[in-house]
Amino acid sequence: MPTENQTKEKTVLEARGITKRFPGCCANEQINFAIKQGEVHAILGENGAGKTTLMNILFGLYQPDEGELFFNGEKVDFKSPLDAIEKGIGMVHQKRKLVQAHSVIENIMLGHPDSGKILNFKRVKKEVSELCEQYGFKLDLDAKVWQLSEGQKQSVEIIKALYRGAKVLILDEPTSALSPPETRNLLDSIMSMVESGLAVVPFITHKLPIVLEISHHVTVLRNGRVTAKFATAGATEKSLAKSMVGREVIIKLDKVEVERGKPVLEVNNLSAYNEKDHLALSGVSFTIHEGEIFGIAGVSGNGQEELADVLAGLRKAASGTILLDGNDITHDSTLERWRKGVGYVPAERNEVGTICDYSLIENVAMNYYFEEEYVPRGIINYKSLRQLTESLIAEYNVATPGPDVKAKALSGGNLQKLILARVLSKKPRLIIVNLPTQGLDVGAIEFVQNKLLQAKKDKAAILLISGEIEEALSLSDWVAPIYEGKFMDIIPWTDAERDNVGAMMAGMKPKVESL
Amino acid sequence: MKIGEHELKLVKRVDLPWWNAMIISIISVIVALILFSLVFVHSGVNPLTGFKEIFQFAFLNRNGLPLTINRSIFIFLCTCAFIIPYRAGLWNIGMAGQLYAGALGAFGVMYLFGAKGDPNLYIAPGIGIPLMMIGAMFAGGAIGGIAGFLRGRFNVNEIVTTMMLNSIGFWFISYMVKEGGPFMNPVGRSESFDLPLSVRAPLVFGAPFTMIVALLLAILLYWVFAKTRIGYKIKSYGLNPLAAKYSGINPQVIPVLVFVLGGMIAGLAAYHYFGAMPGVFKIARNYAEFGDLSFYGIICGLIAQGNPLAAIPVSLLFGGLTNGGRFAQGKLQMGFGVDYALLGVMMITMVVLQFFYRYKIVWIKPEKEISDVGIIR
Repeated sequence: MPTENQTKEKTVLEARGITKRFPGCCANEQINFAIKQGEVHAILGENGAGKTTLMNILFGLYQPDEGELFFNGEKVDFKSPLDAIEKGIGMVHQKRKLVQAHSVIENIMLGHPDSGKILNFKRVKKEVSELCEQYGFKLDLDAKVWQLSEGQKQSVEIIKALYRGAKVLILDEPTSALSPPETRNLLDSIMSMVESGLAVVPFITHKLPIVLEISHHVTVLRNGRVTAKFATAGATEKSLAKSMVGREVIIKLDKVEVERGKPVLEVNNLSAYNEKDHLALSGVSFTIHEGEIFGIAGVSGNGQEELADVLAGLRKAASGTILLDGNDITHDSTLERWRKGVGYVPAERNEVGTICDYSLIENVAMNYYFEEEYVPRGIINYKSLRQLTESLIAEYNVATPGPDVKAKALSGGNLQKLILARVLSKKPRLIIVNLPTQGLDVGAIEFVQNKLLQAKKDKAAILLISGEIEEALSLSDWVAPIYEGKFMDIIPWTDAERDNVGAMMAGMKPKVESL
Repeated sequence: MKIGEHELKLVKRVDLPWWNAMIISIISVIVALILFSLVFVHSGVNPLTGFKEIFQFAFLNRNGLPLTINRSIFIFLCTCAFIIPYRAGLWNIGMAGQLYAGALGAFGVMYLFGAKGDPNLYIAPGIGIPLMMIGAMFAGGAIGGIAGFLRGRFNVNEIVTTMMLNSIGFWFISYMVKEGGPFMNPVGRSESFDLPLSVRAPLVFGAPFTMIVALLLAILLYWVFAKTRIGYKIKSYGLNPLAAKYSGINPQVIPVLVFVLGGMIAGLAAYHYFGAMPGVFKIARNYAEFGDLSFYGIICGLIAQGNPLAAIPVSLLFGGLTNGGRFAQGKLQMGFGVDYALLGVMMITMVVLQFFYRYKIVWIKPEKEISDVGIIR
């Protein structure tokens, strides 16, 4: 808990009775809160709680149906994000909005009113590097954005907002793509921004420890309403989770002990190239047995995506072998692997895992169109697929009006449940799950994790790729921190320590035990 | 826009039911006709008279109707040649080249039978006619397959390759039927040899039998896309290639498949026009005009939103208008190009009004109840 400081008394942004309705639902209902200068005011809520709508209203993308916004005590009416930016609201989206081929400084200047028609790089550079220094961002201003890590890209967006004179900084899921050290740096930077009088408003779905650590106040949303307001000093993880989900949530999972069976997946010296023809995965070897969860902990972009793709047959192996139940599948097609019992739950739910213009039935068909049982003689039996879809929806509590709804109408959590239901219903021997709980709310995370543990009990071998140490440690039997395409170590869960794994994710050599 | 206390607002559509799409299309035809009235007025013709002449000749006249039907079958087949790759998210701009190849394929079969210069040669129609159709489809499919293969294997843009293949097809057919080419008419005209009398296609209800083929094709394609595994694979690839690959659909095979199928149907269009149309039965001198006409397959396919059944009325409309427009131009002594102008105006309105495929206008009452009104409901 940071100490309160003197500048905080003045309210910068206040919402009074904000209500926004969409046909059929009410996304925000009578929302009130006040954000003061020099404080971190977290807004917490599950997916679908109305966070995004509220954020869009604050940033001028939506106009509220009722209610008023006040900025520095003056009533404001944001017609577009431009109005909001001019007043001093800065927004850092979860999806990066940068020009990949441009340099950092060019991205920061883009759209800045003072950059004028003739660009004065020298002056801007000086001012921007002062900002970086003040808030502790380490950035090479001449680097191209595509060369940067996710965390650095986020810093660029923050500086861009600050350089445009933001007084209130809205951060959407600020730590979701960061490694532990990067998260640390960001939190430090946020603290120094707050000290210089800025207000920071992070919107967060589930990283409760971070909320407790940095924020002064928390406003919790559920079903479009404010359900609780805390001064963080008096809150605990449990109380936050409870007001978010509306019931008690088990935060710590119990280990599920399953007897170790035969080896299912044996990977030997596997390498692969990425799209830019760089060796993204270089020579990893590991084995997963029946009833085991093998956790790969890493910051995204360190080769784990390529590993998942190679195992699923979506990418060619540059070298090495993959054995499934003792049979070489290194050169099998994706379809052959599905048939042999490889199940893949990709990280990109909307782009890869589902087809958004298809109904839920047609989305379930993605894993069944090659099964004679559902597609006899090449003609799809939609009746039995409908029954299957309905039973999966019921079993996995997918919130949907029905199986004919298009996938794009589902929220992220429900989409993930549908993908998981579809893949697990095939009883795969090997389950590859990439970031299975990213962006999900506390309730959905609990559900997904329990389903994985259930699959473990059913003797599947599970490869879990996770960006969060807690998840990797609490679910896995083995933890392998990955960095630049190599496993730093493979540790049994009993020996895995949070700090040690975190350090290895950031590329530090494993601690050598005294021999 | 505000009118008193009421407000009109544009809202993005979540869904487009087929009847809404139909209503929007009908409205765009009406708007086009109204706009085109200006052309009639400019030429000193009463628009009502003008449209009466066009529609009467195209759809009611004893001489005009068969022409309309023949032309519509041709346009419909070109539309299907466009639709199949379109459902896989790929653009077939190469109907013209596939058409020329199909014509050469069909007449190539007859050439092998020794039909050149012998109009009285007897070939059993039960053998000769199917062989010609197969020849046309094979050649069209082969040309289409090149573009599909390049796209699937090397990710070469299919729009560019199909356009270039059009050019190759055009010059190749010119070589074959003109100035001493192998298929040139022995009398010396710049067109191909005549088909032997024995393999000139029979008429069904006064129209070429290809009409039945086209109708069956529409139903078959509709069924393939709605119910079969192969249709599901094509649609999946078209909607999201990454997801299709993830679910085990081979991303190299689908482009080849759809372009071979599309090319085969374009080849069939060539057979329809050059091999089954009464009064033609040769690669006529104006083959390039039909190459150009094949491009209407693109616009019809887009208006029909890739639905083969919806493509039937759309093709009929465009077939009728080209036909009736040409007739009215002659009868009313208007300037050259009235038919093209009419089609042009219609295409523009249809494309512009497709805006309402994605948006709708809603009428917001002061009580803040949202209700749809007007043209879109």
